[in-house]
Amino acid sequence: MANIRPFCMPKWGIEMTEGTIAEWMVKEGDAFTKGQVLCLIETAKITNEVEAEYDAVLKRLLTPASEDAHPVGALLGVFADADTPDAEIDAFIAGFKPAETSVAAKSGSSAPASAPAAAPAPAAAEPARAPRKIVTNRAISPEALKLAEAEGVDIEPIAGSDRNGRITYQDVVQATRPERAAALKGSATLIEDSAEAFASPLARRLAATHGIALSGITGTGPRGRISKADVLALVKPTTAAAPVFGAAFELVANPATVQPFDKIRKIVAKRLTEAKQTIPHFYLRSSARVDDLIALRKTANVVLGAKASINDYIVKAVALALVRHPDVNVQVHGDAVNSFAHADVSIAVASPKGLVTPIVRQADRMHIAQIAATTRALIDKAQAGKLGYEDMDGGTFSVSNLGMFGIENFDAIINPPQGAILAVGGVNRVAVEADNGEIAFESRISFTLSVDHRAIDGAAGAQFLQTFKNLLEAPEGLFA
Amino acid sequence: MPKMMYRDAVVTTIAEEMARDENVVCLGEDIVGGMGTPGGPEAIGGIWSTSTGLFGKFGADRVIDTPISESAIMGAAAGLALSGKRPIAELMFADFIGVSLDQIWNQLAKFRYMFGGKTKCPAVIRMAYGAGYNAAAQHSQAVHQILTGMPGLKVVMPSTPADVKGLLRTAIRDDDPVIFLEHKALYGMSGEVPDDPEYMIPFGHARLSRAGQDVTIVSTGLLLGFCEAVADRLAAEGIGCDVIDLRTTSPLDEETILDSVEVTGRLIVVDEAPPRCSLAGDICALVAEKAFAALKAPPLAVNPPHTPVPFARELESAYLPSVDKIEAAVRKVLSYR
Repeated sequence: MANIRPFCMPKWGIEMTEGTIAEWMVKEGDAFTKGQVLCLIETAKITNEVEAEYDAVLKRLLTPASEDAHPVGALLGVFADADTPDAEIDAFIAGFKPAETSVAAKSGSSAPASAPAAAPAPAAAEPARAPRKIVTNRAISPEALKLAEAEGVDIEPIAGSDRNGRITYQDVVQATRPERAAALKGSATLIEDSAEAFASPLARRLAATHGIALSGITGTGPRGRISKADVLALVKPTTAAAPVFGAAFELVANPATVQPFDKIRKIVAKRLTEAKQTIPHFYLRSSARVDDLIALRKTANVVLGAKASINDYIVKAVALALVRHPDVNVQVHGDAVNSFAHADVSIAVASPKGLVTPIVRQADRMHIAQIAATTRALIDKAQAGKLGYEDMDGGTFSVSNLGMFGIENFDAIINPPQGAILAVGGVNRVAVEADNGEIAFESRISFTLSVDHRAIDGAAGAQFLQTFKNLLEAPEGLFA
Repeated sequence: MPKMMYRDAVVTTIAEEMARDENVVCLGEDIVGGMGTPGGPEAIGGIWSTSTGLFGKFGADRVIDTPISESAIMGAAAGLALSGKRPIAELMFADFIGVSLDQIWNQLAKFRYMFGGKTKCPAVIRMAYGAGYNAAAQHSQAVHQILTGMPGLKVVMPSTPADVKGLLRTAIRDDDPVIFLEHKALYGMSGEVPDDPEYMIPFGHARLSRAGQDVTIVSTGLLLGFCEAVADRLAAEGIGCDVIDLRTTSPLDEETILDSVEVTGRLIVVDEAPPRCSLAGDICALVAEKAFAALKAPPLAVNPPHTPVPFARELESAYLPSVDKIEAAVRKVLSYR
């Protein structure tokens, strides 16, 4: 074979099962060089660039950019030398079998890579969803067979629902879908017929629900029976109060603008729901006097030539407090707590595509200028939608700061598998009693620590928060 | 409320109606029970004991033993009805309907229509139907599907003693021919029955016997009890079944079925007749047509196979829809992906 190589959906990290092609940067027939960006692939978590690993030509582009997700290992295109005949490419595609995409094989490798050249791989154990020819003596409808071939469905385990076990189109469609448990609503109260009135079962149920007596109602249903419409007509609409002045308020059309969740929104929704529903959160609230920090920041920025923000100092203080309280510097995995010697601090960033949480790694070992530079780079990357998997994978603690929006304080949802998140409010000038008994003003920041009680107890969280508060109030400690 | 058996509800209701209205007359094979035997009338009782005591109370003019000729019984019933009587004709086994189909299908069912509405035909034709008695292919059939498909007939299939009373009275007082199908295996069923001599259940008014929000199960006759057993078993797992007893297959209470499916989104119809052109198929089609948007899974019919009713006990029980088969059907529609 003349250097023909498949380009498959890569597997970035353990959880990736499928991806969508957001954009191709090369066209079919284009030559490219090593390091050139070939396409943008969007996963449930990130959008990433795929760079060429060698020089070649994109001989065949099989999956144009679209909303459609393709499973890991799916053939996206074929690379070869420019002079490779089409017939050989066709033969290669026809004979292509996706490589085994086991989790262990690629987890941890952060560099996006096309799948290895397809050796005649043994049939994958998991259902392969690549088109293939099916030879069978099972009875199957022609359209069902076509669908099974196009979707790469193994028809052998399907129990055909048509006569004598013939497989129907619907059977194949069912086989392509994951098993799911029906959402059950359970039993309802049975309201027996009574002699009082002639009414349909649903009309009876509705009448009982709304406390309406059936006896006086004239039925408009079959044979004069009271049907649901007759009962619903008697349900009292909620009446609005009469307008006080002027002309009556008139409604204008207010149709909903429907915006389906995009990939990032979907994943944010899923993970936050999971976190809020499955993690037993508790909250610790405190505040710190930051006059000294504000003063020191001005000086330090001049001395260090850094442009560190208050938030960078907060990240630094969090990181130092975390290494002093390793029982808070944790991830929760199932029934185990993983604790870490160094603090990888995720920072919540509002990007154009939604909330992202890039990580300042080993922030405890960085000095403030390094934190500032790292944070700046991550935020820029987030704004450009170019954060990679490696920028967001892991983290031992999160900081979410809404102070710049004038928020005084708020409670954040834990970013799993991390054990805690710190929600930081803005700087407020507050009147306090000074040492001499007079009224003085000071600048304070409020913060709330959301803690996973499965792994971290109240006292541990409180001690961490105390250390953090002390570091902010005596900021020289941040340079220790 | 007094308890009585399904068969006693039949006798009691007929007796009450015969006492109330002298135009009500009964006829059928051996309904006097023992006529011509050494013991004399009522020595033996009809084979289903559904006319016990009527002869003694109302005499030979109103309780008529007929020759063994189904066409004669139906022809006589048709004539009686046209001439102002309210005949209750009994067909010993529903399977024997074939020989009298002209009288039922072409005459009784069509009189009102053919005479331009100038006459009425208040006949009730009672018949014992159904499998489960080891009575083989010619004495075990469920015939409601052919009768339901005949315009001009009303078809009633009670599933409890109380419904026998309420529906049979409505049938006797109805001015059109009514087919009243009694399941053999239910004759011994006991249940509470209202004492009220005016207790009537209107036709086309289905009964909700279990309330649930996950699956609608529609049935009638013997199998309704099976469906209730399934609903009770599944309720423990949090699966709620609306069990609808149709009571009458013609007229059909479409509203109750559709109202229920609009809530549950899933339909199972359990029917004792074979699947082709069956009541179950008809109701599945109705729901597919009028509640398609509400469906979460394809409607599912549970019928016996397309074969005559087998004689062997094991085969007969394999033939009939069972509690296990109905439960499997519920789980199947719930697992639709």
